[in-house]
Amino acid sequence: MLKNYFKIAIAVLKRRKFFTFISLFGISFTLTILIVLTAFIDKVIGDDYPDKKRDRSLYINRIEENGKDNNSSATLSFSFLTRYAGSLKTAEKMTIFSEFRGTNTYVNNKKISINYKYTDANYWDILEYQFLEGKPFTRQQVDNGEKVAVISADIKKEYFGDVASVVGKYIEADNVQYRVSGVVKSLPITSYMLYSDIYLPYTVSKKAYKGTGYKGEYMAILLAPSKADVAKMHDEYEQVVGKIPMESKEFTEIHSHADSYVVGYVNTGNEKKSGMLYALTAIGSFVFLFMLLPTLNLVNINITRIMERSSEIGVRKAFGASSGTLVYQFIVENIILTLLGGVIGFILSVIALYFINEMNLIANLELTINFTVLFCGLVVCLFFGLLSGVYPAWRMSKLNVVNALKAQ
Amino acid sequence: MYRHLFKLIWNKRKQNFLLMSEMLVSFLVIFAVFTLLVYYYQNYKKPMGFDYEHVWVISYSNGDKNPNGDSLKLFYEILKRDIRAMPEVKAVGQMSPNIPFSSNSMQNGFRYKGKVVESVNDYKVDDSYKDVLHLKILEGRWFNKGDAVAHTRPVLINNGLREKLFGKEPVVGKIIEDRQIIGVVADTKFKGDYTSAGFASYSRIDTSNIHWIDRLLVNVTADAGPAFEGRLYKKVAGYIENSNVEIEHLVNKRKSINYFALVPIIVLSIVSCFLIINVALGLFGVLWYNINRRRGEIGLRRAIGATGRSVASQLVIESMILATFSLIIGTFFAVQFPLLNVFDLPTSVYMTALVLSIIFIYLLVLICAFYPGRQAAAIYPAVALHEE
Repeated sequence: MLKNYFKIAIAVLKRRKFFTFISLFGISFTLTILIVLTAFIDKVIGDDYPDKKRDRSLYINRIEENGKDNNSSATLSFSFLTRYAGSLKTAEKMTIFSEFRGTNTYVNNKKISINYKYTDANYWDILEYQFLEGKPFTRQQVDNGEKVAVISADIKKEYFGDVASVVGKYIEADNVQYRVSGVVKSLPITSYMLYSDIYLPYTVSKKAYKGTGYKGEYMAILLAPSKADVAKMHDEYEQVVGKIPMESKEFTEIHSHADSYVVGYVNTGNEKKSGMLYALTAIGSFVFLFMLLPTLNLVNINITRIMERSSEIGVRKAFGASSGTLVYQFIVENIILTLLGGVIGFILSVIALYFINEMNLIANLELTINFTVLFCGLVVCLFFGLLSGVYPAWRMSKLNVVNALKAQ
Repeated sequence: MYRHLFKLIWNKRKQNFLLMSEMLVSFLVIFAVFTLLVYYYQNYKKPMGFDYEHVWVISYSNGDKNPNGDSLKLFYEILKRDIRAMPEVKAVGQMSPNIPFSSNSMQNGFRYKGKVVESVNDYKVDDSYKDVLHLKILEGRWFNKGDAVAHTRPVLINNGLREKLFGKEPVVGKIIEDRQIIGVVADTKFKGDYTSAGFASYSRIDTSNIHWIDRLLVNVTADAGPAFEGRLYKKVAGYIENSNVEIEHLVNKRKSINYFALVPIIVLSIVSCFLIINVALGLFGVLWYNINRRRGEIGLRRAIGATGRSVASQLVIESMILATFSLIIGTFFAVQFPLLNVFDLPTSVYMTALVLSIIFIYLLVLICAFYPGRQAAAIYPAVALHEE
């Protein structure tokens, strides 16, 4: 029986090639866009290289001070983080690192732009960078203020050219020579908290990191001993921040949060405007509008197609087919159509992602297909396909045979 | 005739309802895209307002070692004089971190006669800044040495702010709170080609804020290359002790800020292009099918003397009436944007976008209905009636 339905379905799809094309185009194209969009979001905020312990980490990346007519928001100072974030009892480990900043170096009359970041030794424990060669700098080296650097694979290629090993060689940045201690796999700039070309010990920082102001250029990651402690750690930091004295008289409130990666990532630096809400509304309304059109289209086309087949339904009914059998047949047809669309959509997304990766819009950002999304997209298509294809068919199967036959 | 068409549409209201909602949603999507495109285009058409071709930016840190504002000022004067003395350099200026084509911004508010403008970009600059970027002074004058002793803080504002706040009133010499306006500068698109110039005010770097000023702008000759850049770099890095120095070119900064403005628009356009193709195919399919179902009716009309042209135009006009209904509803939603001032865009942008999208939807429906209409016109009455 199923085999027969399958044959009928293929025959129907072939008979009205134009309509089939429209349905398939709609389904596959919608899926492609959804997959590309989510692949991007997934990569930008969901990628767990190099912070593999993300589920038990909290990120502190901003401090906001508010007064009557004075709002200011910035990254934090080294001393603030050691003093307050460092005092948490629930945190197992903490790393403090600066935002990346740019500088130039001039090699052989060529200019190279280098982004640098200062970190402590814990940074290399908490974050699991993949070392292509060498090793990170140690606590000892940081304490001694040694001029060592971990560099990214990209800058190795740009600065040294195609050489096998650069560990022990010197790289000049900002007029200072640093000895290379290791090379790590490059990150895309979209992971802006962790991205850099060279990583240096904070003790060699030219800017005084000992200043006592609250604002500076540092951020921190707190690591909880287990997933269950993350909420406790978050609350403890809120409490600590609540007790901090104001830095100056012009301010009346201090806000700083230890947030999960995603919340920290979309932080706008304004307590009143939640970055998360912003991002969700923007993406949500885009996806909604975007899905609404193809759905309407699919429903429209499906209803039209079913009307066309009223005589077929009439004949089947006249020969004794029940409503159940008819509905079953249309379900099979719809599933076949949706699956076909899914397959085409999958192929299209592979091609689209390949081209996007090839174009290298953002260096080191490799997009991949998210299969959950593919599945969800298919389910949504199937749902609307059934709603628009099977429901009218069922209604029609309830019609009197005479009327259905006469419709033609 | 139109009453007759309305009746035909009303008889098939269920199916037409779906068609109409599809047109309505497409109209809203197109309206959003056109609004953005028109806004970008309007900004793009306006002049840049300053020269960036051969301007380099030097960022430095740690320039604030000296606690005394006056001696710090002197310290920078010497550095600027030294840089100016290099043969490749035409002009040097100093400014706050919100340099052209950077995402960094500092804003303050202006109040005048009850009108408030909150988002005024505030640029702290020095006396030679105008010559580095070749700013155009429309009224009044630029800063000079004498302003150091003025007891109300002298400021210049840009033309946009002048029109918004003062309209046609003369502004030069006006005192607003603790600031005195000494001139008006032509609008400058500091945030890239596609972003509006917005409101701006310029104030002079003085001994109270020189501590956090950390950018130098250098206008160089056309033949200044990497070798000179290396020398310039060493000069600054050698002069300011323990400083992190970076040199960037405004040409490149412009490229990257434009890139970030354009990429979302391009992605959006590609996506909506596909959406529209999708919708067009759908409309086409449904109209085509409807006409095939009405062969009997059309055959009858032809038999009693209707011309092919009048049959075709009936079908096209029917679709156009459907489109008009959705456009009326869509326009109702669309005009809420300028009325409620949702995104702070000029009304002209919305209006242009509205007109464009109405034309677009009509064209789309016309094209989709045209071929089925032609087909209907070709129906032979004998054949059609025989089938019945």
